Amino acid sequence: MILKGQKRKLEPEDREASDRSSPTWESQRQFVFSVSLNKYQRGQELPEPSLRRSVLIANTLRQIALEKHGEWPRDSALMSGEPATPPTNRSPSEDEDWGSAESDFSLSAAISSILTALDSTIDGAPQAALRTPLRSLENLPESAGDVAKPGYVNDVNMEDLFQEVDASLLGRVGYPAEEELVCYLPPFSSASSNFKCLPSFSSFSPLSSSSSPDSASFSGPNQSREAFELEHLMEILVES
Amino acid sequence: ADIISTVEFNHTGELLATGDKGGRVVIFQQEVENKNLPQFRSEYNVYSTFQSHEPEFDYLKSLEIEEKINKIRWLPQKNAAQFLLSTNDKTIKLWKISERDKRPEGYNLKEEDGRYRDPNTITALRVPVLIPMDLMVEASPRRVFSNAHTYHINSVSVNSDDETYLSADDLRINLWNLEITDRSFNIVDIKPANMEELTEVITAAEFHPHQCNTFVYSSSKGTIRLCDMRASALCDKHSKLFEEPENPSNRSFFSEIISSISDVKFSHNGRYLMTRDYLSVKIWDLNMENRPVETYQVHEYLRNKLCSLYENDCIFDKFECCWNGNDSVVMTGSYNNFFRMFERGQRRDATLEASRENSKPLQVLKPRKVCTGGKRKKDEISVDSLDFNKKILHTAWHPQDNIIAVATTNNLYIFQDKVN
Repeated sequence: MILKGQKRKLEPEDREASDRSSPTWESQRQFVFSVSLNKYQRGQELPEPSLRRSVLIANTLRQIALEKHGEWPRDSALMSGEPATPPTNRSPSEDEDWGSAESDFSLSAAISSILTALDSTIDGAPQAALRTPLRSLENLPESAGDVAKPGYVNDVNMEDLFQEVDASLLGRVGYPAEEELVCYLPPFSSASSNFKCLPSFSSFSPLSSSSSPDSASFSGPNQSREAFELEHLMEILVES
Repeated sequence: ADIISTVEFNHTGELLATGDKGGRVVIFQQEVENKNLPQFRSEYNVYSTFQSHEPEFDYLKSLEIEEKINKIRWLPQKNAAQFLLSTNDKTIKLWKISERDKRPEGYNLKEEDGRYRDPNTITALRVPVLIPMDLMVEASPRRVFSNAHTYHINSVSVNSDDETYLSADDLRINLWNLEITDRSFNIVDIKPANMEELTEVITAAEFHPHQCNTFVYSSSKGTIRLCDMRASALCDKHSKLFEEPENPSNRSFFSEIISSISDVKFSHNGRYLMTRDYLSVKIWDLNMENRPVETYQVHEYLRNKLCSLYENDCIFDKFECCWNGNDSVVMTGSYNNFFRMFERGQRRDATLEASRENSKPLQVLKPRKVCTGGKRKKDEISVDSLDFNKKILHTAWHPQDNIIAVATTNNLYIFQDKVN
């Protein structure tokens, strides 16, 4: 498809993933998920985020999460006409090394199980229009365990979270081993019904300032676990 | 700052207005001499340039308000002067463009340069006379409609009643009287009580060309709602909902994004509605809500590139579309400085290019073709070679003649139907 002497402007997306359980389908889903997350975060950082763009990205994230919960129509060939980008043909801007197919599988499994643990109630929405710098500073929560507060309050802490992720993205180019990935996986044996679905940005519990991204031990109430799970989810995305 | 952000012919086609990212409006005027000659070709020359909007700072929200002109709409001409509405994200302004080609001379109390004469030297009385002067085109702001939109204004539409107009932002539509600037009526509000439940925004709105009670607005979910202002003051409940059920075989992660409607335009005869989404142009009959009567694929070869287009943000580009004067042809832009025309009755379409390298003045435009398969014919362009930074978002068609205005990023092209 690439002609000799022609400057390649777009990623060739040749392979079709008509089977939803195939690895290319899974990797494309992950890819879209991580790209969407980045886009959303970067959009929110702008002084005046575009509401239409934020809503469309948030809806896409919600859709990906919903699909994980099996609400996708089963009989539709989702990826027909929409070939997945094979992980090995990553565009130059992508620094991550996807590695072998095996690590893809373990990564997919990790993401899937994390997302499965998230609640399916969706109430995500971009807070772009409501957010003002003054307001968010004034209303920082006193306690870290406050889950129910809507909107900008949690947005601030989400921002903090994403700041951490961003920095670590820069620092961890080509992070290797799948064994280390596996060791970061949080245990899922315990009930995790308190989790809200990922796109519901406002429902995430604010991270306490003391929680460090490298901590691997679980202690304390469900809500700090929630925060941990989120951190680890972000870590896994970053390290992949 | 020279990036063109809107293009609009006035109702006679004599004037063509462009707005840019720097808040400037440039108006071109058609030279109509020798119109009856067989070799007649129109020329559009700069008629007036003025700064419509300046960057502002919202002190309450600590946000800068861009001066980029989002839309220009002309008012029908009622006297010697021309009027247009221009808007940025937050403020709409009514501009009067008038000509002055005479000036008074022979004042009694003033010299020609404006200095006052000594009254003791005045011994006779004379009547000042108007003498011709070089044409001067003046633009003056007559009304400023501000502080009515929390979100970014995407559309402005003048009503056929010549008294009112609507302005639409992401979540609300307001109705204004052209004379009254300190009040507007909110006629559509889709903001949910809890912003967390927001999943849909308004992308475009337009009044019906003849029925002053009817307007439509499109959404980011691919729906168009037609509202009747006689039904209620707040038109949150639509009279008609135009929506095409999704083709399940085309479903993907990006289905919703590409279904988002970027432009909506009534046909001149008021019977049809045209919508532009990312990959297609659809024509709707106002009497049939469940599906469009015609669908034209603008660049279907991009359908399996959606992932990359999402990554580089191109999937969020908002393309406009337009009708020709008798509603037989529709036109819209694409990438690589291509634009597309669809001839409705003939079921013919053309891809043309607006670029200096590929067309000289007075040269007939060559149709272009994008090749999607492996084997590229001569003169075809492969999908991978398309330049996605060269996008044609704004196009306009002369209301009567076959003259079109096409805006690339920095340049305006005016093309005319070949004569002879």
